[in-house]
Amino acid sequence: MRNRRDILVGMVGLAGCGQTRERRLNVFNWSAYVAPETVPNFEKQFGVRVRYSIYESNEEMLARVFSGNSGWDVVFPTHYIVPPMRDQNLLAELDHQRLPNLRHLEPAFREPVSDPGLQHSVPYMWNATGILYNKKVQPAPKRWADLWEPHWRGHLTMLDDPAEVLGAALRKLGHSLNSRDPQELLAAQQEAVKQKSLLRAYLNTEVRDQAVAGDILGAQIWSTTAQQAIDASPDLAFVYPEDGFPLSLDCAVILQESQRPELAHEFLNYLLEPPVSARIAETMRTATANGAARPLLSAATQNNATLYPPPEVMARAEWFATVTPEAQRLRDRLWTEIKSA
Amino acid sequence: MNRLRALFLAPSVGFTVILFLIPLSIIIGYSFQTRGVYGGVTAPWTLENYQRLFDPLYGLILWRSLVMALLATALCLLIAFPLALFIARAEAKWKSVYLYLVILPFWTSFLVRTYAWMFLLRDTGLINSLLLSMGLIREPLPLLYNETAVVVGLVYGFLPFAVLPLFSNLERLDKNLLEAAADLGATPWETLRHVVLPMCAPGLRAAGVLVFIPCLGSYLTPDLLGGGKSIMIGNLIQNQFTTARDWPFGAAISLALMALVMILMVTVLRQDAEDSL
Amino acid sequence: MKQSRFLAVFAALVYAFLHVPLLILCAFSFNRSKFTIWEGFSLDWYRAMFSDRQLGEATWNSLVIAAASTILATAIGTLCAYGLWKRGSKWLSGSLYLSLVTPEIVTGISLLAFFQWGFRYLHLQLGMHTVILAHVAFSIAYVLLVVMARLRTAEPALEEAALDLGANEWQAFRLVTLPMLKPGIAAAALLAFTVSFDDYVITSLVAGVDSETLPMVLYAMARRGANPVVSAISTVIFVGFGALILLSERMQKA
Repeated sequence: MRNRRDILVGMVGLAGCGQTRERRLNVFNWSAYVAPETVPNFEKQFGVRVRYSIYESNEEMLARVFSGNSGWDVVFPTHYIVPPMRDQNLLAELDHQRLPNLRHLEPAFREPVSDPGLQHSVPYMWNATGILYNKKVQPAPKRWADLWEPHWRGHLTMLDDPAEVLGAALRKLGHSLNSRDPQELLAAQQEAVKQKSLLRAYLNTEVRDQAVAGDILGAQIWSTTAQQAIDASPDLAFVYPEDGFPLSLDCAVILQESQRPELAHEFLNYLLEPPVSARIAETMRTATANGAARPLLSAATQNNATLYPPPEVMARAEWFATVTPEAQRLRDRLWTEIKSA
Repeated sequence: MNRLRALFLAPSVGFTVILFLIPLSIIIGYSFQTRGVYGGVTAPWTLENYQRLFDPLYGLILWRSLVMALLATALCLLIAFPLALFIARAEAKWKSVYLYLVILPFWTSFLVRTYAWMFLLRDTGLINSLLLSMGLIREPLPLLYNETAVVVGLVYGFLPFAVLPLFSNLERLDKNLLEAAADLGATPWETLRHVVLPMCAPGLRAAGVLVFIPCLGSYLTPDLLGGGKSIMIGNLIQNQFTTARDWPFGAAISLALMALVMILMVTVLRQDAEDSL
Repeated sequence: MKQSRFLAVFAALVYAFLHVPLLILCAFSFNRSKFTIWEGFSLDWYRAMFSDRQLGEATWNSLVIAAASTILATAIGTLCAYGLWKRGSKWLSGSLYLSLVTPEIVTGISLLAFFQWGFRYLHLQLGMHTVILAHVAFSIAYVLLVVMARLRTAEPALEEAALDLGANEWQAFRLVTLPMLKPGIAAAALLAFTVSFDDYVITSLVAGVDSETLPMVLYAMARRGANPVVSAISTVIFVGFGALILLSERMQKA
């Protein structure tokens, strides 16, 4: 009897071994979305330990967070995921008193359609989607339709994201990115399936190294990742398709399940500090939503056409919108069928 | 006696019921429910998930998985049998060494072994680098991210599973029978065909099932070596429970897979089980 | 028996097939360059491996989980094997064998569903404890298999003799059968440890925020591209387990 009790006590102790005395924050973010010193500086400044993990897609993040007991405190959904998350009671309401740095946000991002009062989300970084390609590919791709050409065979990737892939197919067919029409969506799905034989894989930022190495000659990719790739290899170029392209805004949210909302607010406030935001934007080539941080960026970065496209290019852009539940259901099913084909 | 036995069995009963049978029943329940709009499981009880399985798209995935698993199993048996024969015939002092060399890769992490093949086969991998540097090819061969790579990975991963049961079966073979066959004038090949193989049938069946079932439900190998394009049942199930968040459909697929596995076990192994009892 | 030349050559080729990919991986882990052209001997990747904090945490988690689940699974499985040896129970052994043949992905998702369902009402989270429970659950059948095999070679008469001499059942088990089972238990423990340490599929589904394991980190690195640190880790695992197996075999012979 005594032996058994000792073993039990020992195991409880072992399990509790993981928890330390200091405060903890669990942050789940996109890969390559903070500068190397961002999190360590926060840890030092506030005397806390941050568990920082990365994901590659909204779906990967939602899979973990959807249950409501994932253990994460702060995650970064793309803007059109915020309303559904809010409806599912996954998000905590933000206390603006604790977020004085909200005033640094660029005016354009202070009232995003997805969350007008910024009650649940804080705009973080924005992205546009375009085509990264190796310069030796002739002719150079200019529109989404060019990604359906047979010469790519095996050296092309598309994003592992239903909204992006369906979006590209919809634009190719001349429909809106945010179409809810079942006929249009079905047609888009068929286009995507037709393209599948040309694809190497559906990859997000994982494609960057392969593009730099020359394995992949063309990729549907976000502007941030594209710029990182171009920095690493002069053979690569990036283009915003002529037939329109999507914009997305990644936002920081605090999960309803979080046991540490005050610390989470501190973290969000910290990310909004202009020098912090500027550092991330500069090193990781992200486009920041923080207006006060823009002037702190180097001239080269501020004028970078990939990260901050000129107005005539932006005229072709369209924000992703949250679709109706029925349309979402259809899109999810079509995506499963595209991936399974 | 019964009190002690009950006490001894209690923990296993607990674990089996709570952490195996109950979860399985939950899955059975989910398979008849509907997916919520963004995920989760909601009320309307329906057979729709099972009906969806008959969609040719998923039938194709099942077919592809069966074919690849059968191919990998056949290759495993083909390679394992002569090897097992070799070890069984070896001198006693070498047997354990040979066995150790077969078991060693098996004890190494499955992930590591799969990664080893990624290292060899990728466009910038060793095989392509060698061929390119020798001038035999001008562009890297697409060796990775296709069904062949998956089959190679499966064979590589499960070969030890096939060797061990075959070896123990061959070891127990009555040497007298073989000598008798030789005395009666049979060539080694004929002895093999008419004496050894039939006596090995139980071992071959066991090895076959031991390899086929994990191959059918494999997830890692097609994921890493197939590049997410050669999607097998295991990947489909994982997909439904993570990124697609369609738990009811995933549950239906899982049960279909389980049913397949159980039918296989019962038909192929029942005879052997009865014999050994 | 005389070995045919053909068989020997064939065996050599198969051994090459089994070992060469791993040996190449090990060799290239010492390569200075990231690419598959040999550029000189270097321990850089090993240094990188040891200084990676996330990797260190994950390895520690894997060891803790494997140790805990091995101890629990071996104990529970051994007792179960003994109990079943005394008198069988069709449904228990049937369920355990079923758990053995259930594909890993199905075991994983069923446990995930169970944990979500149960914890929704108990407000617990996925974490080290859920991973350990999951590992114990699927390891018991392996332990049962190994210990049963060993029990089948046991002599029931020995226990009966002990009982005749005045021992009670517990003493008969502890002083007669258990010592005889030791090699089987050791083999089962080794199997349980390896299966737990190496598991990816089930762990990735039921792991929580604080329970990232080595296979999970390895998988993420493998997916992200050619990474020589993975080769370094692989070499360490390969050599480590190779030595462990060798050691256990030597101990069993002694």
